[in-house]
Amino acid sequence: MEFGFTAEEQAFREEVRRFVADHPAERFPLDGMDAGYGSGAHSRAFLKELGARGWLAMTWPRAHGGLERPMFFKLVLFEELARAGAPFGPLAGSWQTADAIIEYGTDRLRREVLPAVARGEATFWQGYSEPGAGSDLLSLTTEAKRDGDHWIIRGHKIWSSHAGIATHGLVFTRTSREARRSRGFSMFVVPNGTPGMDIRPIRSLTGEVYHYEVFLDDVRVPADLMLGPEGEGFQALLNGLDSDRFWGRYYKAPALERVLRQLVEYANTTTTNGVPLGRDPVVRRRLAGMATDIAALRTLFFRAACLLRDGAPITYETAVAKVMADELGQKLARLGMDLLGPWGPLREGSRGARLGGRVSHDYLTSLGHTIAGGTAEVLRTTIAVRGLGLPADKRA
Amino acid sequence: MDFTPSPSQQLLGATARDFLRRHCPPETAQRLALDARGFDDGLWRRMAELGWPGLLVPGDFGGSDGSLLDVILLVEEMGRAGLPGPFVASAVVATSLLVAGGSPAQHERLLPPLAAGERIATLALVDDGGSFDPLALTLRCEVPGRLTGTKLFVNNAHVADDLIVALQGGDLLLLPADRPGLARLPLDTLSGEKTFEVSFDAVEVRAEDRLGRAGRGDGALAAALTAGALARTAEMVGAAQRVLDLAVEHARTRVQGGRPIGGYQAIQHACADLVRDVDTSRGLLYAAAWRASEGLPAGADVAMAKAYAGEACLTVARRGHQIFGAIGYCEEHPLHLLHKRIQAASLDFGDAGLHLETVAREIGLR
Repeated sequence: MEFGFTAEEQAFREEVRRFVADHPAERFPLDGMDAGYGSGAHSRAFLKELGARGWLAMTWPRAHGGLERPMFFKLVLFEELARAGAPFGPLAGSWQTADAIIEYGTDRLRREVLPAVARGEATFWQGYSEPGAGSDLLSLTTEAKRDGDHWIIRGHKIWSSHAGIATHGLVFTRTSREARRSRGFSMFVVPNGTPGMDIRPIRSLTGEVYHYEVFLDDVRVPADLMLGPEGEGFQALLNGLDSDRFWGRYYKAPALERVLRQLVEYANTTTTNGVPLGRDPVVRRRLAGMATDIAALRTLFFRAACLLRDGAPITYETAVAKVMADELGQKLARLGMDLLGPWGPLREGSRGARLGGRVSHDYLTSLGHTIAGGTAEVLRTTIAVRGLGLPADKRA
Repeated sequence: MDFTPSPSQQLLGATARDFLRRHCPPETAQRLALDARGFDDGLWRRMAELGWPGLLVPGDFGGSDGSLLDVILLVEEMGRAGLPGPFVASAVVATSLLVAGGSPAQHERLLPPLAAGERIATLALVDDGGSFDPLALTLRCEVPGRLTGTKLFVNNAHVADDLIVALQGGDLLLLPADRPGLARLPLDTLSGEKTFEVSFDAVEVRAEDRLGRAGRGDGALAAALTAGALARTAEMVGAAQRVLDLAVEHARTRVQGGRPIGGYQAIQHACADLVRDVDTSRGLLYAAAWRASEGLPAGADVAMAKAYAGEACLTVARRGHQIFGAIGYCEEHPLHLLHKRIQAASLDFGDAGLHLETVAREIGLR
């Protein structure tokens, strides 16, 4: 057993810390909103800055332009960026897509897309959900039909994050009808701007745009933009879920630590009725309890990281980490609102806003986290059925 | 980063699990909880033959030079079995204290029989204020002199040969339990754990009864409190894991409405939360024990582990009762004893309130 980071990992951590100190978040133009997951806003300029350092491709095989650094370097990079509040919004998605392309992408995808990811230019939206297919993804109706060297995609995708400012969509479609409901699905990497693709923003409860819906009206896609084997898309999606859940939430714990530090500082420096807020025993206990919960959450992610690194079987370990991360984020946002009292609901930029008005923003965005990427309910069922061996619902 | 126990740690854990399954089944744990003495001499001797009481004792004194992490993995198995007895009090807490604070002569005299399980020692820490915080101690005594006062919640004092008495100002005494004027009065607990009020009525204290140097026992005491908090956390984690295992087994096999109750989402989601609570409690425990074993600063880590497990594992026990329904309400069912043991462990060596205050200072609250 060993709960520390290696000397190489620590040296890289110092390198990243120097980088974020020299490149403060506010210096970068933002293209899309911070949805509160811990990865900050969408800033292509910031991603390019990471790309210029070779960090975006650092774990890839040399054959694909990588440095073959160990997976834990990605953990370190995520931690330090999240602690600094850096705007690396879509990075986890870009990395996941790149890994899939490295594993089973066509030559064309490797040639065209990987270098763009490495430079921080390519980002991706997920075209999975549909108006009638949320948690029950298999009921999706978007179809792709073969037409010579091309596929023609027709359908309607929704809840696609940052779709309007990304470069490509990962469009999940039905390509054939099979006896087994989970077969006959295929994934395409479709460049934004392909004729027939209509991307429309959905304004979120914060007043900003994060999600889009995408209408696909006979979108013609070359066959070598299919990602993975034809008809096996759902299995590929399932295989990638544990990794997606992990990387899509790993930065949450360090980001929560950052918010907690701000709340501690606020409690230390704010006086109510002549008494410092931080001397209130209830406040002390809630903040200390939150620090403890975050430390507990980190152990779940560290364990999942070791399993992913070692290629060990995963049944429920990333699911339990995601659920806890999302529910803890909601709890911290509530605590923040409680501490701020009447100032809590003041928005960013408002006169009198405290802590930059970020707490109310976190409070709102955190509501979506237990829904996106697998609802807390679906994931608890996964934990019970896959992790504990409780009987699955026959309908599934 | 690596969550896998070493081969020797895995062997220790597997041996312990197998041994306790055979020698401390739930009926034994229950019988000992209900028994006034609650100490199985034969079981203690067999544990001694396995070398367990000597795990934290240096090899020079008949021990096996184990680490705190090793002993934590062992105690987790004891918690799983609901094993009662003085192992934590004597082989973990008192032994850590003696190793860290004892003189060469005290080491020579006490560590070999402690390692062999021939001698049992326990710590008398808590004053009548009820706090486990060493800074809250008020009991004082001139050395040499006479000690008059009370210590509370002294675990397994009835089978102890030696009491280590913590005094205000960093003084520690090592007193034979049969010294005239010292009385051990049993407290009747929910868990059936044997804990005592110890009263001192002008008990003679000699110069050689001092443990460590005058006013300098606080370092050794801190080491013992760390070991005690972690060991009690390990017991909670083991017991909560057992509750989870039992609950899942019950949910798989108990049929209502034509299917196992584990097929209902209400039960599935409850079980999913139990997994989270057990896994996180264990993660914090191992990380804190590892840091303490490596000699890294671990005060806040230990505090977090103890505070967190105290709440999370108790939640596991309570939700376990809901999953089991009526059968969990019976004395013959193992659930209640595991629950009561978690309850006891959550308070011993500091409750969540005490430890979260340590955390509050650590995160910078002034």
